[in-house]
Amino acid sequence: MREAYVIGAGQSPFGSYPEETYRSLFETAYDRALDSVDGDVDTDRIDEAFLGTLGVGGRQIGLSGPAVTEHVGLHGVPTTRVENACAASGYALRNAVSAVKSGMADLVLAGGYEVMTDTSADQTKWWLGVSGETEWERLSGTTFAGVYAQMASAYLDEYDATPDDLSRVAVKNHANGAENPNAHLGFTCSLEDATAAPAVADPLTLYHCCPTTDGASAALVASEEVARELSDVPVRVAASGAASGAVGLFQRDSLTSIPATVTAAERAYEQAGIESGDVDFAEVHDCFAIAELLAYEDLGLCERGEAPRLLREGVTDPDGDLPVNTSGGLKSKGHPIGATGTGQVVEAFEQLRGHGHVQVDGAERGLTHNVGGSGGGVTVHVFERGFGGGSA
Amino acid sequence: MTRGIAAAGVHVPRFRIEASTVSEAWGVDHASGIERKALPAADEDALTMAISAATDALDRVDVTPESLEFVGLATTTPPLAEEEFAPRVVRALGGESGTRTATATASPLAGVDVLERAVEADGPALAIAADAPTGDPAEADHRLGAAAVAFLVDDDAPVTLVDSAAHADEYPGVRYRERGSETVDALGVTTYERDAVGESVAAVLETLAADDPVGAALHQPNGGLPYRVGGRTDLTNDAIERGTVVDRVGDAGAATVPLGLCAALAAADADATTVAADFGGGGAALGLAFAGGLDAVPAVDERLGGGELVSYDRYLRERGYVVDGEVAGGGAHVSLPSWRRSLDGRYRLVAGQCPSCGGLTFPAEGACGVCHDRGSFERVELPRDGVVDAVTVIGQGGAPPEFVPQQERDGPYAVGIVRFTRDGEEVTIPMQLTDCDPETVAVGDDVRATIRRVYADEGIPRYGSKATPI
Repeated sequence: MREAYVIGAGQSPFGSYPEETYRSLFETAYDRALDSVDGDVDTDRIDEAFLGTLGVGGRQIGLSGPAVTEHVGLHGVPTTRVENACAASGYALRNAVSAVKSGMADLVLAGGYEVMTDTSADQTKWWLGVSGETEWERLSGTTFAGVYAQMASAYLDEYDATPDDLSRVAVKNHANGAENPNAHLGFTCSLEDATAAPAVADPLTLYHCCPTTDGASAALVASEEVARELSDVPVRVAASGAASGAVGLFQRDSLTSIPATVTAAERAYEQAGIESGDVDFAEVHDCFAIAELLAYEDLGLCERGEAPRLLREGVTDPDGDLPVNTSGGLKSKGHPIGATGTGQVVEAFEQLRGHGHVQVDGAERGLTHNVGGSGGGVTVHVFERGFGGGSA
Repeated sequence: MTRGIAAAGVHVPRFRIEASTVSEAWGVDHASGIERKALPAADEDALTMAISAATDALDRVDVTPESLEFVGLATTTPPLAEEEFAPRVVRALGGESGTRTATATASPLAGVDVLERAVEADGPALAIAADAPTGDPAEADHRLGAAAVAFLVDDDAPVTLVDSAAHADEYPGVRYRERGSETVDALGVTTYERDAVGESVAAVLETLAADDPVGAALHQPNGGLPYRVGGRTDLTNDAIERGTVVDRVGDAGAATVPLGLCAALAAADADATTVAADFGGGGAALGLAFAGGLDAVPAVDERLGGGELVSYDRYLRERGYVVDGEVAGGGAHVSLPSWRRSLDGRYRLVAGQCPSCGGLTFPAEGACGVCHDRGSFERVELPRDGVVDAVTVIGQGGAPPEFVPQQERDGPYAVGIVRFTRDGEEVTIPMQLTDCDPETVAVGDDVRATIRRVYADEGIPRYGSKATPI
């Protein structure tokens, strides 16, 4: 099969921009992605587009994808809107990679967008909550925060972990996000701030939850031929692992693991020919603090129950052995649902090209981990710097 | 054939308020002879209380829900002003679709009415009275309470119906509710009202063939009226006291006299006579005379004595007097046909057992959740006791819009994942916790499934199982 390379990636600032539209936000991300390419891209060469969104607040349920590509002048380009809740653009990237690898396309746009902050609080809760298992889980009276809080309650019960361990995720990711000019909540917080913050859903406090965010992100995925023409230092997609899982937490074997992450990661590591966790950095899906702990374990970065130790010992700090969420993660950078998956790719692209806002020394390989809902759909992508894979 | 009452079950909501708390709040006492009363929680109503009382009754005898031939429901506060609600109760109890049903709602007299109808029916029959009337908080509400009583009627019963008597004459304005209104009212023409009740109930008692009743449950909108009515008859104050519960539960509409009857029958000997006589606003009275005493009955005094006292502001919230119930921003929508399709799971905890691996899947649809094979599930009912595997508290502001009205009334609630085990196979169900302090629920706690109001969608109330710590 052919290789696929990310030759450009960019994002709009993530934050609250009620005066923007999903089209204008995407335009910014798209322009930045084009600007990030080493060579000049003739946009007529873009064969196809896959764009992720949950549904831009319900204001455009159908055909928002073509609305976006027509808006940025990609007239006539076949566009597919991809929806897998918060993993929408992780899957959009996977589709773009498939299109290139299969030979159907040589240059594909992947991306995502969401507008969330101009909607009333009640409507936001309605709209976000119906991406989980609606008939039983939602109608037990819970939102996504409640579902992740249930996971946290089971985790704290099962392992030697405390609410402070959840807060350590917030402290680390906010410290990283404070360096990222595109972050929604680009400020630092203390352990005390995080633990003592008001409860959202016990044991999760406000600081253990990501914000709702406006934003867009985009990545250009190219064949080797196009990458060699347009990029000096492309980023090879070494693996695209993905898996589905039961949509409702109650329908799964474990409450302290996301099984689809485990499967997606195994597939990704096998494709990349690496051992689990053999990466220099990771962008993981930390929509709620507990999710980052579960991600460490599900991705095989540590044994079961060891995630708190990684945080306590600073292993996942920027200067640790395995930095996680150098962008600030969903927690600090923000979580514009459909834009999050390719937003993680922006961070991986910049890290591997040495332009990270919080740069990891000698970064040669990284992974991105994108979760839909509480684990109904997951992608794990592995990226490597340059023309690797024996093709260089 | 000696047909009559074989067992009784009772539901008194856990929340109570002292009458003095209400009168102090208003500076006036409109609850004469009432010490305390019960109030339903925000997720309780006539339907859930009826199911709870019926379950309590059925648990006391060897009668299965499937064998019920008649189910009569009495309430002045049905979930919907027009719609039969007995079919929901039959379905929730696990009864058969061939069960005859009756729903009586016109006045508090409905409770005694469905009891007589259950005796007139054939086979095992349930007469359930469940009520939670509301009134003007400044006045009528002061004495209004809530309760449910279920009588299991059958042949060869220890308590037999020996006589019944009725009386009807036009007496409007004594107790009424205007079309479209949720608050019961009275014109307050005191002498006229006393005469209406006294004359009607006394006429019924005179006609009844009842020798020296040891217990009498008389129309009791407040604590004084049954004694005042009894003064027109030969009944002793002791007999009336045995059948009077309004002082501890409040005026629970159609359920008050049945609850008094239940208390009196529990105290009666095998050869004793007990009477029940109620009045329905508009001018109807109905009286029943029973012989015998009942063992298969809960300790009514204990049920009336327990509970959790609430403050008056909590009372106003819980009862919905200060919450409009509007769902802002749109709630989660489950179409009525798909909701109906899931009723066995929601009411009876019916799961699917995989023919290949034996594992359990909930709800009972799709591929097996354990081995992922697709076969046709055997539908099995889970035990109603389970264990909390995960739990959180949904605080103010954190609830999905469709649960905001409930939360505004009842406060924060816990939601958990509850594990049920049947023959060694486990399955989990997401459940809201109810009838508890949400902060005290922890992983590992034992809980029991109970049917409560979930939410209303497109104006139709929906019911399902929640979990209560045990």
